[in-house]
Amino acid sequence: MLEIKNLHVDVDGKEILKGLNLNIGPGEVHAIMGPNGAGKSTLAYAICGKEGYEITKGSVTFKGKDFLELEANERAGEGVFLGFQYPVEIPGVSNVNFLRAALNSIRKYRGEDEIAAVEFLKLIRAKAAELKMDPEMLKRAVNVGFSGGEKKRNEMIQMAMLDPIFSVLDETDSGLDIDALRIVADGINRMRGDSRSILVITHYQRLLDYVVPDFVHVLSDGKIVKSGDKSLAIRLEKDGYASVGIDESAA
Amino acid sequence: MTLKNYFDSENYKTNFELTRATLPGQDVTWLSALREKSISKFAQMGLPGPKVEEWKYSNLNVLNSTSYETTNENCDSDEQTDKLLDQANIENINGSKVVFVDGYYSDKLSNIRSHNGVSLISLRELLKTNPGNAEKFFKTTPDENSLRNLNVAFMTDGFVLDIDDNVKLAEPIQVVHISTKSSDTKALRQNNYIRIGARASTQIIESFIGPDHINSWSHNVSKVVVEEKASLEVYQFQLEGDETIHMNECVVETATDAHFRHYSLNVGGKLSRTEVKPTLSGRHGQVELRGAFLGRNGNSHDVFTHMKHMVPQCNSDQIYRGVLDRGGKSAFQGKVLVAKDAQLTNADQSNKNLLLDRNAEANSKPELLIYADDVKCSHGATVGELDQEALFYMKSRGLETSAAKALMVEAFVAEVYQEIELGPVKEKYLSVARQWLEGKD
Ligand SMILES: Nc1ncnc2c1ncn2[C@@H]1O[C@H](COP(=O)(O)OP(=O)(O)OP(=O)(O)O)[C@@H](O)[C@H]1O
Ligand SMILES: [Mg+2]
Repeated sequence: MLEIKNLHVDVDGKEILKGLNLNIGPGEVHAIMGPNGAGKSTLAYAICGKEGYEITKGSVTFKGKDFLELEANERAGEGVFLGFQYPVEIPGVSNVNFLRAALNSIRKYRGEDEIAAVEFLKLIRAKAAELKMDPEMLKRAVNVGFSGGEKKRNEMIQMAMLDPIFSVLDETDSGLDIDALRIVADGINRMRGDSRSILVITHYQRLLDYVVPDFVHVLSDGKIVKSGDKSLAIRLEKDGYASVGIDESAA
Repeated sequence: MTLKNYFDSENYKTNFELTRATLPGQDVTWLSALREKSISKFAQMGLPGPKVEEWKYSNLNVLNSTSYETTNENCDSDEQTDKLLDQANIENINGSKVVFVDGYYSDKLSNIRSHNGVSLISLRELLKTNPGNAEKFFKTTPDENSLRNLNVAFMTDGFVLDIDDNVKLAEPIQVVHISTKSSDTKALRQNNYIRIGARASTQIIESFIGPDHINSWSHNVSKVVVEEKASLEVYQFQLEGDETIHMNECVVETATDAHFRHYSLNVGGKLSRTEVKPTLSGRHGQVELRGAFLGRNGNSHDVFTHMKHMVPQCNSDQIYRGVLDRGGKSAFQGKVLVAKDAQLTNADQSNKNLLLDRNAEANSKPELLIYADDVKCSHGATVGELDQEALFYMKSRGLETSAAKALMVEAFVAEVYQEIELGPVKEKYLSVARQWLEGKD
């Protein structure tokens, strides 16, 4: 589904990703762990097409398409979703209006008709209930005044509404209380399927108990330095990055 | 000789000699004398140049390059006026409607409903039927404001609204000022007078509209008195064409416990100047000013407010927002005066501007003169660009850049109008802003 080859990314003239390779097949869940500043969020942004993330070398292919040719909104139209590590506040724009505009924009990209108002409201209420979110929050401006955990849950409702086939979830688990972690994990698991894939970026093994990954990778200093199955995450949690040969101070 | 930093504009004096005999009320002695005095005073003073502090952001040189003779009465309404009226129309507003075409009251297009205790009449009509009654609205001595003198010297019409004590009008009054193609190179000058009696209340919706490519100068001066415990809300829409010069001055006086609210939206004209000058002269007076200006391609919008707190315990609050795209320019000048005795004043002012392009300009100049010591005054002025992080966030959800920008800008403008209770008016503000954002202003 997603194929990343020898990816080099510069931010403000500084090389952050230094030849990264990653292959994610349909139906697979991959987890990426790694020290602070290793380049995990940079990878997420590069996949989703953020401006200022300059690809100097390498390729990103999604379902056989050269992804680097596409604008961020076109990538969303192709079915990619990014759960932000730090969700952004948009003053004055309500969650409901934002989601309706986003959903219709994606539909337009795919040559589909706009969603009927009634159908949209039904859908959003159902998704809010699944995530145990107060529907009143949907009327508020996007993320404005939301607590850290509320923002993360808001990312989840956006994911559920936009129904992506590939999601990158950047530290969606951090800042969540114990119950919320469960709810969010259930939300992620609902997104799993034979033809859908997920890339989870996390610092903690705990999320991976709920969302069991097929592969775990360690990203350090702009490259994937180690890959394995879920046992790799357990080992890292117990023994730290030094146990897989990463000198923390070099990261 | 003109005042320092003012410039000569002989053409208006010449115009006056040529047209004085045809101006309304030429047989009313006090008015003729007033017009005469006003034009002389104007000629003495001249037009304010860019070195005059209040006009430093507006280039009034344009007023010298065209003669701007007074418009003639344009009796026939045609397809053009119908179309403009339609554009200015606000759904589901059914009160009295006063329509001016090229600066003259149009009986045919207006619909004044009679209501006990409400007198609504065109100034020209009043000069015909009861000129003595009109006299009290004007100062007999010329003004210290040069443009106001010019307005009085040439004024052709206007409206006079007088609401008796205790009368609460349920339906808003609509006033539409249309400039047609015939007003090209001409000036439309109106003088309006509004008095809201004690404990009375009303709302006025005022629209200014005209086609593109018409170099006319629409110049309105309104004097407003809001008596004890009375309330007045004014909602203005400035929707004139791209070549028009718009000037609108609103001078207000509020009495004890009075409430005055003024909303505006400027989207048209090569130069628009909106002046709101409330004087709070009775305790517990409350004034709210709200407005937005949207400019691009040679639009220049000026908002000038002067809030005068003369007595203790009044509140005033101003919120203005500007959105400037390529080739657009704006200036907000907000003066607040708190007199020595005006203790326990609350005066807030905020002006935020959004630049959508490098080739756009927003100026903001708050000016606070506070002579009382126990007051709460705040002011804030910002000029910024759209948040790039928010833009990417929205794009990552599938929105095209233009749609994402439009949502953010619309939200920025909408905050100005969020407290409006008159649904159709609020919706009109938002839809005009939306149209401007879509490039079809
Ligand atoms: N605009 C920038 N200019 C220079 N360096 C930058 C810029 N943006 C990010 N970086 C650097 O890129 C590196 C990778 O950042 P990134 O956010 O991808 O790390 P991360 O692996 O997600 O870290 P964390 O676990 O803390 O979220 C960091 O060292 C960061 O300081
Ligand atoms: Mg990160």
